[in-house]
Amino acid sequence: MKMDCRILWSFLLLMVLAVPLSASAMEMDDCLGCHGDADEVGDELFIDADKFTPTVHAEMGCMTCHESVTDEHPDDGEAVTRADCLDCHEELGGQYMATEHAENAVCSDCHNPHQVHGIEAVSGPEMNQQCSQCHDGIDVMDSHAEWLPQASLHISKLPCITCHTSSESYVIVLNITQKQKKSEGLKGYRFSSYADLKEYSGEKEIQSLIDIDGDNHISLAELRTFNRNPAYKNLHLNGTMVPGEVSHDLSTLDNRYDCTFCHASGPGSMQTSFLSFPTEGGTYQRMSVEDGAMLDTLYGTPNFYMTGSTRSSALNIIGLIIICGGFIMPIGHGTLRFLTRKNRQH
Amino acid sequence: MAEEHEHQIYLQPIPVRIWHWLNAFGIITLTVSGAQIRFPEYVSLLGSYKSAIYLHNAAGIIVSISFSLWFFYYTFVARSMANLYVPKVEDLKSGILRQVKFYFLTYFLGWDNPHHPSPDNKFNPMQKSVYLAIMFVMMPLVNLSGIFLINVDPLRGLIVMIGGLKLLAVLHILLACCLIAFLPTHVYLATLGRTPTDHIKTMWTGWEDEEEGHGEEQQDESKGEKASSGN
Repeated sequence: MKMDCRILWSFLLLMVLAVPLSASAMEMDDCLGCHGDADEVGDELFIDADKFTPTVHAEMGCMTCHESVTDEHPDDGEAVTRADCLDCHEELGGQYMATEHAENAVCSDCHNPHQVHGIEAVSGPEMNQQCSQCHDGIDVMDSHAEWLPQASLHISKLPCITCHTSSESYVIVLNITQKQKKSEGLKGYRFSSYADLKEYSGEKEIQSLIDIDGDNHISLAELRTFNRNPAYKNLHLNGTMVPGEVSHDLSTLDNRYDCTFCHASGPGSMQTSFLSFPTEGGTYQRMSVEDGAMLDTLYGTPNFYMTGSTRSSALNIIGLIIICGGFIMPIGHGTLRFLTRKNRQH
Repeated sequence: MAEEHEHQIYLQPIPVRIWHWLNAFGIITLTVSGAQIRFPEYVSLLGSYKSAIYLHNAAGIIVSISFSLWFFYYTFVARSMANLYVPKVEDLKSGILRQVKFYFLTYFLGWDNPHHPSPDNKFNPMQKSVYLAIMFVMMPLVNLSGIFLINVDPLRGLIVMIGGLKLLAVLHILLACCLIAFLPTHVYLATLGRTPTDHIKTMWTGWEDEEEGHGEEQQDESKGEKASSGN
């Protein structure tokens, strides 16, 4: 009898939990039923379901932000309320409001709340899209070239927020890039899409291209195997440095003008790295990489080299031995020369 | 002027001397700035990291251009590149061994250098072999890898093709270390002339004393010395 009671209570509990979940799911589908069709609601109110569904905002459901919407919407004539971004993003919003940017752009000018993703789910070039809406690429290049060595390399490799942030910690993110086909009419390398990598992985998950043992972590040995595999000769890992924490203090801190802030040995950031795989939905998913991959002499990350900071101590020792070798002749020969100097005094 | 150089031979023409000293200052600048670029925490002789990079790039470009001019001069103007720098069969068969024997044995016994430099045959067989490796392998490679490292973005495709940026940087550093290692040996060997500064003066003025070109007085003095030592 006691047992029956337990089953009954468990069943009731499940029912209670399941009702809001199904209601929430239904609700979003209801909304997207109209708002997912541009012809029905117009471009301004259109929500691209493919881009919205994978966002964290979608998980919260439409009503969380638009709480005034009733079942009668839009026939009830009620104005639809919108949540203020700062209601949830208080800290980031506070940082942003204190910057000059806040005078020129509100949150939604940079972030579409129906398409927004966390920093780990976007690529470096995507992070820069927001900036390039206002900051012209040529102006950006010119103003940096006035003082920054290798300005074009820095700008093409790094997201703007790597320097324009108050984050003190950094991580290295590796993306798989591939040689552009001549038929595409473009030279150089571009970020590989999910479909591109699927061509290589076949029926297996694309992660298996590098994470061979499937443990959701990439070891140095796995990185080397990937880099040495002739079948992947057109793929190469492109590394970049991104802030460890997201901040919205977009001013440039003075220490960022000092090259050695990044180009010096031993910053913890060189130890923490991730491989960012594209997902089917167009976002990215990070997988952790074994510590020290950036410093592995050759095969770990053959195309990621940061002067001063990715230096290998093994290479330092080899270099020192070579240089010391140059002193054998002066010291050894010089000593014997001194000791036998009398033989040459004729 | 003619009297002054009566017993001397004009061994190092002006273009060669300019090139040599430009290279010397360039390589020292590259060494110091390169050390600061790799070890900014320990080396700060040139001020900021940025100035070290600019100086390294500028010195690198100057040394590269200077190398190209040197190559052009010897190959097309003086037309003596092969004769001076490429060891002949005889050099390889016995010359190197003879020279090694001199430097590491008979020199200490007070024997004369078996090689007598002339404008057409400036280097001894050992020098030829070492310079061949340095001037035809190491210098071009270190220059080329440096040029690649200055232009990573536009040359990305090529860099990936040759094995990656890291390989290129490692190659650049190891070659630089070999060239730095050559410096103390080079300077030391330059002191093995009749007097320690003899060869160095030649590289500055161009003139070197002939083997038997001592003045009468000097010859008399040395004869006297030998005679007295014989007693």
